[in-house]
Amino acid sequence: MTDLLKSLSFQTLFDAATDAMLLIDTSAHIAAANPVAKKLLASDAAAMVGLKISTLMPLRYQETYLSEFAQFVDKPQLQTMGSELIALSHDSKELLISIKLSPVKIKQQLYILATFNLADRRNQVTEALRASEERLRLAKQAAGLGVFDFDSNHNMKHWDERMRELWGAESDNLVSDNRFVTAIHPEDRAARLAALNSAIDPQGNGEYHAEYRVINPIDGIERWVATVGRMHFENGHATRLVGVARDITEQKNMEKKLQDQRTESETLFTQQVAAQTVSAIAHELNQPLAAISAYSEVALHELHSDHIDPDNLKHALEGCVAQAQRAGSSLHELLAFLQKGQLETESMDFLHIIKEALNITKSYGYHGFNPILQLEQNLPPIVGNRIQIVKVLVNLLRNAMEAMHTAGTSPPTITIIVKTYKDKNMAHAIVQDNGLGIDNETARRIFEPFFTTKGSGIGMGLAISRALIEANGGQLWLELSAKPKAVFHFTLPFAA
Amino acid sequence: MTIASVFIVDDDPAVRDSLTLMIAQEAIPVQTYASAEDFLAGVSADSFGCVIIDIRMPAMDGLQLQEALTKRNILLPIIFLSGHGDIPMSVRAIKAGAVDFLTKPVTRIKLLAAVRAAITECERVLSAQASLQLARSLISHLTEREHDVMTLAVQGYPNKEIARSLGISHRTVEIHKSKIMHKTGAINLLDLARIAHEGELVKSS
Repeated sequence: MTDLLKSLSFQTLFDAATDAMLLIDTSAHIAAANPVAKKLLASDAAAMVGLKISTLMPLRYQETYLSEFAQFVDKPQLQTMGSELIALSHDSKELLISIKLSPVKIKQQLYILATFNLADRRNQVTEALRASEERLRLAKQAAGLGVFDFDSNHNMKHWDERMRELWGAESDNLVSDNRFVTAIHPEDRAARLAALNSAIDPQGNGEYHAEYRVINPIDGIERWVATVGRMHFENGHATRLVGVARDITEQKNMEKKLQDQRTESETLFTQQVAAQTVSAIAHELNQPLAAISAYSEVALHELHSDHIDPDNLKHALEGCVAQAQRAGSSLHELLAFLQKGQLETESMDFLHIIKEALNITKSYGYHGFNPILQLEQNLPPIVGNRIQIVKVLVNLLRNAMEAMHTAGTSPPTITIIVKTYKDKNMAHAIVQDNGLGIDNETARRIFEPFFTTKGSGIGMGLAISRALIEANGGQLWLELSAKPKAVFHFTLPFAA
Repeated sequence: MTIASVFIVDDDPAVRDSLTLMIAQEAIPVQTYASAEDFLAGVSADSFGCVIIDIRMPAMDGLQLQEALTKRNILLPIIFLSGHGDIPMSVRAIKAGAVDFLTKPVTRIKLLAAVRAAITECERVLSAQASLQLARSLISHLTEREHDVMTLAVQGYPNKEIARSLGISHRTVEIHKSKIMHKTGAINLLDLARIAHEGELVKSS
């Protein structure tokens, strides 16, 4: 036996041991590790030798463990270092272990053999559960969650402190469904019951979601509570509902505030649109009214004078008529924009329309520009409302002139091209300037009512123009690829 | 002096036409312009009368035109015409020196009253300018010593005082004064004081 033992080397024993073993020198460095220890503690087996043993200890215990180790080195004798120690495993998990230390002399040198025993399984589970509960408690606290557990009769089996806080219940007594529901706002009870019934349904997914107001009987404060839970079933019957409740009063208040703000800004916008519409109509009518007023006073003054000048009188009265007509047609256009009415249409030559529009544009003070006309030969006459079509052309010409003026384009050039549209029944007009063109954001919104980039102006021009062209059976659009110029297109039907 | 004219700057042809008729009935010459740019091209520093400007015009608007006129030192009084709801613009216009701000439609009485007041204002401004120029040219013919004597004399200093202050004899002051009266054509000391004031020889207190 002694021979046998003699022939057995320390190495063989060390490697065959079922416990994890470390050979540690007196300066607390690992001199050797057996395979079990390597497996349990090392991420890199080869790298373990030479490491300080403190690398295997959680930081918070290093001081204690190292001082115990030092005491052992001073008075080396076999002893248990402790039964509930924590070591760090190769993946940095904390292991509950017991460690035994024994002195070993190798070549006159003192080493310490440390034998590791994993603590028993039950302890590990208890520790894990404790940690899990701790995590849950912290999470609940952070989220302000209350936990509830109902039985199949909706009676509370368990509710935690946070739930009782919300419901204003003082003790941890179980409550009946009735008492629980009493605290819920009467208007919200039906919705909660519906959510409950849907969760109870064995055909459903058992999920329970409800939001309702809870009136705390102690402080009388109303709070919004969101509950989420899961129904448990046994043999196809709902038995238990477990879930959490959260105070969402702040969130609800915020939502309401946002909703109020939205409503307010919508009201403001509506008022603004109304004000702008009225302002547009007022401007359209005020100009001819101003002229009519002045013409009328001229006529009156003429009649009161000793020497009536019939030419002046005629001029003034004709002016009155023309301006009253102008006011009327402006009004009709606006009404046509607001509600599509019957249109008086006629057959007309596109060139005449363009010339009329150019003359009006010039009379508005826009001249010194260079109109280039490119009309297809033998173009058939178009059909539509003359005043409206002229108005659209004038709008486009004015916009082009203003854009070129702002850009400082010299010389301002407007090209008007008219040709047959691809489906042969339409005339296709293209109006392009040589200004800076239109950026994408503006292009996207350019046809919106009241959208304007000008300092003055009400932004109705293109909205009305598009409506007018559409009322005449055509379309009006902006060419997006035409940068840097602005190129507007519209179509109008040929007279049949 | 030339006859006062009214200049109308408005982009609306009907407004231009009707106001022209109205003002022409009073035998006041009228010139119209369809844009601010046109008016700036046509107006000159010696234009006389007043200008009626529509505050809202495409391209250069009424307030910008007012600014451009001020920059070019054209002193024509401005009457602004506006639609409703241009209160902030009217405040700016008046602060910048417009004589009146009328809302369309404007009555004959208001318009003509504003035009007459503006023309009177223009006359006042022009005559003040003319007096200044005349007085300055009279004063410019004086020698340096005569200039000094006149400055003191119009402030009411007696000859003795002037003589002591300038270190010359009483007699010499008298000679200078007589030359000053001759050169400026002033009939007495009060008249000389008026010329000094108009020529901005002394700051009025």
